[in-house]
Amino acid sequence: MDFGFSLSPSSAVNLDNTDMSLYERLCEREPGAKTCMACGSCSATCTVSAINGMSVRKVILGLQRGQFRDVEKMLSRCMLCGKCTMVCPRGINTRHLILELCRLYGSKEGEL
Amino acid sequence: MRERFASGFDPFVIPFVLGMVFVLSYCLFGMIRILVQLPKADRRKFLLSLVTPKTLLKDIKDIFLNCLIHVKLWKRNPVLGYMHSSIAFGWFMIILLGHLEVMLFLPERIHLFYYPIFFNYFVAETETTLQGAVLFFLMDFFLLMILSGIVLAIIKRVRSRIVGMRRTTNPSFLDRVGLYSLWAIFPLRLLCESFTAHISGGSFLTLPMNWIFRQFLGNELNALPTWWAYSIALGVFMTVLPFTRYMHIPSEMLLIPLRNAGLHILHPRKGFARVQFYSCPGCGVCIDACPMSVRKENLKDCTVYLNRQLRRGNEKRIEEISDKCLMCGKCTAVCQVGVQGPELRLAQRTMRNYGVNPHYSDIDPERFRVEGGSAKVLYFAGCMTHLTPGIGKSVRSLLDKAGVPFKMMDPEGGLCCGRPMMMAGRKEQTRELIRLNTDIIRNSGCTTLLLSCPICYRIFKERYSLDGIRIVHHSVFFDELIKQGKLSVQHNDSLRLAYHDPCELGRGCGIYDEPRSAVSSVAELLEAGKNREESICCGGSLGSLSLNFEKRKDITLASLKNLCVEDPDGIVTACPLCQSTFSNYSDIPVQDIAQVLDNASS
Amino acid sequence: MTMDRKIVIIGGGIAGMETAACLRDLGWTPVIVEQSSALGGHVAEWNCLFPDLAPAGKLVDSLRAKVEGIEIHLDTVIAAINYLRKGYSLVLSDGTKLQSDAVVFATGFSLFRAEKKEEYGYGIYDHVISNKDLELWFNTGSDERVPDNPKAVGFVHCVGSRDIKAGNTQCSKVCCITAIKQAIEFKEKFPKAEVYCFYMDLRLFGRKYEDFYIHAQKDMGIHFIRGRVSEVSETIDGRVFVKAEDTLSGKPLRVSLDLLVLMAGIVCNRDNDRLAQAVSLPLDEDGFFRSRDNVSQLTLSDKPGVFFAGTCTGPKTIPETLAEARSAALAVNEYLKTLK
Repeated sequence: MDFGFSLSPSSAVNLDNTDMSLYERLCEREPGAKTCMACGSCSATCTVSAINGMSVRKVILGLQRGQFRDVEKMLSRCMLCGKCTMVCPRGINTRHLILELCRLYGSKEGEL
Repeated sequence: MRERFASGFDPFVIPFVLGMVFVLSYCLFGMIRILVQLPKADRRKFLLSLVTPKTLLKDIKDIFLNCLIHVKLWKRNPVLGYMHSSIAFGWFMIILLGHLEVMLFLPERIHLFYYPIFFNYFVAETETTLQGAVLFFLMDFFLLMILSGIVLAIIKRVRSRIVGMRRTTNPSFLDRVGLYSLWAIFPLRLLCESFTAHISGGSFLTLPMNWIFRQFLGNELNALPTWWAYSIALGVFMTVLPFTRYMHIPSEMLLIPLRNAGLHILHPRKGFARVQFYSCPGCGVCIDACPMSVRKENLKDCTVYLNRQLRRGNEKRIEEISDKCLMCGKCTAVCQVGVQGPELRLAQRTMRNYGVNPHYSDIDPERFRVEGGSAKVLYFAGCMTHLTPGIGKSVRSLLDKAGVPFKMMDPEGGLCCGRPMMMAGRKEQTRELIRLNTDIIRNSGCTTLLLSCPICYRIFKERYSLDGIRIVHHSVFFDELIKQGKLSVQHNDSLRLAYHDPCELGRGCGIYDEPRSAVSSVAELLEAGKNREESICCGGSLGSLSLNFEKRKDITLASLKNLCVEDPDGIVTACPLCQSTFSNYSDIPVQDIAQVLDNASS
Repeated sequence: MTMDRKIVIIGGGIAGMETAACLRDLGWTPVIVEQSSALGGHVAEWNCLFPDLAPAGKLVDSLRAKVEGIEIHLDTVIAAINYLRKGYSLVLSDGTKLQSDAVVFATGFSLFRAEKKEEYGYGIYDHVISNKDLELWFNTGSDERVPDNPKAVGFVHCVGSRDIKAGNTQCSKVCCITAIKQAIEFKEKFPKAEVYCFYMDLRLFGRKYEDFYIHAQKDMGIHFIRGRVSEVSETIDGRVFVKAEDTLSGKPLRVSLDLLVLMAGIVCNRDNDRLAQAVSLPLDEDGFFRSRDNVSQLTLSDKPGVFFAGTCTGPKTIPETLAEARSAALAVNEYLKTLK
């Protein structure tokens, strides 16, 4: 099929090739990750989001889309202040989620 | 008095001697090990404190009052206080009097350390002296005292509620061995001293018993086996002691001087931390006190179980318990020994390995540069206050009413104070946040840093070096303004408000009176059922890493119930996080002190 | 079979009135007990109804006409209900005793108290109002929080709905479409104002709702922003400063507004606890009454002779409520016929 333009594979999400193991491990440790409805409250209230684009919403989504480097970059400025935990309408323990994820990145089982 | 045996020895003393040698060498070795584990600076501090007369005297006083008399426990629960001090002090007196007897009557045997313990077996009374009568009377008296304590201990074990404890710990197998041998020691002592009382002499307890036994048992044949049993009971107790909760007895004697030397827990397992978790007597007072105990599933996450798991080295449970805690500090407030539950947990949290280590080196403090001219008061609302805008608005309004010029440090949200990061055990990140905020504050040219959030307040007080800048929480600041007459408030006689002590402000920073005084100036102040040092955490604490929102609900409800015992019209607190947490579930209004004052001022 | 059987209907909102009217048509004797001083419930306080912008007053008036002549107790609540062998005996707060063969709960809902979401600043900032306040303003034109010449206004969806922190995890069902309705009405009054709707998901399931949405986009130029507002502050000049994330572009979004309208959701009636206890009926976790099942027996309770109508079993639109009220009347009818 000719679209008249070419699709760049890197800008498409291919769920067939996406490694979900890190997301699944995170869900084991913080099941709340599964309940995110992507409302964006966390990112809106986050002080560092304006500085480096930190967003718990994007962290959770990024893990399910294979964007592990972006996720790592976002995590690297979190101050753990807990505002996102306070505003989350689904009551996700975002601080625990972030801490556990930071650990998974360093552990063997989190290796990609 | 004369000796019955020229050798001054009988094989029955062997179990005791072995047990005693074992436990003494174990404790000595353990103490040396702990001192070696201490960081150099801490060790110096400790040794220095031992040669400073002031701290040394305090050490002796504290050991006497806490280890023997159990003053703190008396204040908390007189029945338990009596039970513990009767056994500890009574035993101590028996040992002391035993030595006195040997020194008076047979000074040449004082080098045999079993002699004072088994004195009555080895001697025969030749003549009744006043000295002897007094000593024997005291011996019997203290033995009776111990026995009454043992009876209470047995009752407590069977029905803890009778002595006023709702929950108590389940002892481990070795704890039971220790417990039963401890229970056995004193009745056995009574028996064997009674069997030999007609030879060695005795007093109001042992002599009549000796007479009774003579009627139907005879004393001669029973004496030696009972002395054996007594020695064995002592030997068993001493041998298992290091592996039971009774290790708290020698540990506490080390804990007290270490604490008096001003040491902090630096390593999660070694040194001071080790002394702390071995000093836990396992009494379980912290179980009833812990706010998480409202849910049965959390019962085993109290400090007493943390200490047990730390002793056993059960890493999985240590991590679970450490992460769950709200860090409210109530267990420390009620602990008889003063084990620092939250600090122990915090040290465990510092052990974690992370693959992502946040850093803020590229955050330019200029971004948060403070505008607002020459005002000397800098107001830092903090993250939580931005989510409770009513508080921030009231603080600003009160400052305007009092005519205090101020500038905002975080009008559109600022950097975090670092306390939440610190409570997650991430030291490097905390230091960086402190450095950045220090820069911002220093450059603002302020002389007073005003805070609304006790979480921020605590770390600014404890960890920031802001010499020359006064760090003050708004409850204290406004109370001062009212007292100085700069802020005029109207007292509403029909308004009855219950004050909730936020953990970080109360137990964390020792601020209890100023908020109460401020509330009293506008309304009738009511107290919660448990208040001040024993106030109950709202459940919203950032201290807990793993407790999720739903599981905190019961904690909040229990805390609300505690606040409403006097049926107030409203609840007033001094922390945005407490206010927000309570508001989720409270039927009556929950306001911050600033809001209450703002409503009542003109 | 006797036809003089009595049915007490608790609640004189649209569900209660419709049920009563139908029951009388079927030949029974309904009695309405209403706690406020007028019939009509929440709808009586509304200005216009979606999706046709029909006046709410007209609907309420027609229902009031339909219940003319029925025994109605206003300013009255139920003090006690007892289940006897032959139906229920009720005591009202004014001391009246009623014997009834069946009871219909038409107790409706409570509107979420917007001040509970403190971060949105209701009751704190000068220009933050609720959906109900706006309807009141449509009715009366007086509310000093609504500025004279607004340049920008925002509507926040899901205030107190789908929010575990507010204690309500349910979707209120009607706020999306109400927000669109109010946005359109507002834009009609102030054509020059920019109107923003902050939503998490747009749930426009009903007949004509999607058309209404398209109308709002195409003809009215209303901006829809997918992101939940997390924080509201006040600017120095007293405007409302809103923080959200534009989740579609993935960037934090900041906007200053002259008015912020909070779409307070439908939550369970605060009296449900007391009423449920009186007849020992189970409440669901969300505080609404529990139907026998959620597919075909919505109007039936676990107790014989106790029925539900309207939003006491969960958020509903007006047409749904009216249909359910008729359905409840039929269920009552069926039940009464089985009584000897």
